[in-house]
Amino acid sequence: MFSADVRDLIRSYTTFSVPEKIRIHTDTTQFMDIKAGDCIAVEGRLFYVKGEEFEGRFGLDGEPKFWVKRVIDLTDGKAKILKLAFFESFFMHLGEERIRCFRSPHKESRILERTAGDARFMQGHTLYDDAGNPVRVIERIAARTFYDLIHGLEMDHETYYYEVFPGIFTNLMKAFYAIKDLHQMGEIHGDIRNDHLLIEHDGGRYRWIDFDYTYEWPGQPYGVDLFGLGNILLFAAGKGFHTLHDLQSPHCPFHTALSDLREEDFSLFFPNRLMNLKKIFPYVRETLNKVLMHFAAGTEVYYESAHEFIEDLEIAFRSFLWEVPYGS
Amino acid sequence: MGHKILVGIDCSANAQRAVDYVGSMVRPHEDAVITLFHVLVGPQPDIYPDTDQRAQELDKRHRRAHRQLEAMAARLTEVGVPKDRIFLKIQVCDPTENVWSALLEEQKRGGYHTVVVGRRGMSKREEFLFGSVSSKIIREARECTVWVVQ
Repeated sequence: MFSADVRDLIRSYTTFSVPEKIRIHTDTTQFMDIKAGDCIAVEGRLFYVKGEEFEGRFGLDGEPKFWVKRVIDLTDGKAKILKLAFFESFFMHLGEERIRCFRSPHKESRILERTAGDARFMQGHTLYDDAGNPVRVIERIAARTFYDLIHGLEMDHETYYYEVFPGIFTNLMKAFYAIKDLHQMGEIHGDIRNDHLLIEHDGGRYRWIDFDYTYEWPGQPYGVDLFGLGNILLFAAGKGFHTLHDLQSPHCPFHTALSDLREEDFSLFFPNRLMNLKKIFPYVRETLNKVLMHFAAGTEVYYESAHEFIEDLEIAFRSFLWEVPYGS
Repeated sequence: MGHKILVGIDCSANAQRAVDYVGSMVRPHEDAVITLFHVLVGPQPDIYPDTDQRAQELDKRHRRAHRQLEAMAARLTEVGVPKDRIFLKIQVCDPTENVWSALLEEQKRGGYHTVVVGRRGMSKREEFLFGSVSSKIIREARECTVWVVQ
């Protein structure tokens, strides 16, 4: 394609000024060199690079992710995300546990293919550049994170629990079933977090994003996902996390519950995070609290699959459907 | 036919303890036959996408497992178990398969009377994330005796 044509496309589909010299990358290996204003050409498709995405992970917030480009698809003018091949291995902290994690573009490509058309997951497909690197073309989702949803709620816990949580619980169950279905395909999400579950602005659908983390261990491949599901459930049921530090504050309304708290009431992975919500919110259903307690330091039995987790959670969920008329 | 014992071996100190225990218990029994069995988990294609690199890694792991089994067999012969009563076996399993199920499948296939595994002494968190082979063996084993060596 001539650069004059590319200029025309950029003018037609973007509001950006066209740079004097357009760089078109057909090999994305050196993704650090691909800058805003450049174009990426793969398998006959052309993308205009607007910039990079940024890390949202706590501790890394605001760091640019150079392998994730915000682009405009110059075939239809739609905003998309291109995830370029980046292989890295690092240690990830799951509370106090440290595990080796690998970033695998191939894994994410495969999951995109296997969940194509399933709106519970982000959608996209993979193209290959001239060097054979997989380039994941991801549809942008206009949404906010589950973390932001819960944090944005300004009400006391009891009002939240009776009036808002049942509706959230309904959506969360759908999202949990999505993970169960993923596990049944033999896949793991790999990085289940409050900000990897998005809620669409339009329609409020819950959708999982980012599947490129993988791990190497024999035995229980689903443990890391179950850890994530437990955290999300706790965050939702508690309207945020409640730490020992918060509870120790004399201004905390649950300060009096302190003397009744034991080590086994706290999270297995985060010893400061209260798992036994019933001790500060006595109206929390026993069936729900029981599921949470399987993630507590005092538990002797762990969930080994999302199926087991959901089976127990269904009991709690059904009780909400029947007993809370204004639950949606 | 003698008493067939299957000992699950991995690259940890607890496997060594299991072998030592089996050696001391079995040595006087002339009809006991010991198979030292290593379940080798193949490298994950998601982590090693290149076929050659994956084959090299598998070969490396295979050699390491073999060295490990030979060292364990030497420990048994040192305590007096005759060489002809010790067998070594490596089974490569897919990264999506479980070590415990590969062990129990071998038990069924080979008609072993006893399965022996070491206990790692995992923390609760590790057990949550990775699962415990010995706990699974205790729960799932059928028609055989299980020894868990602490």
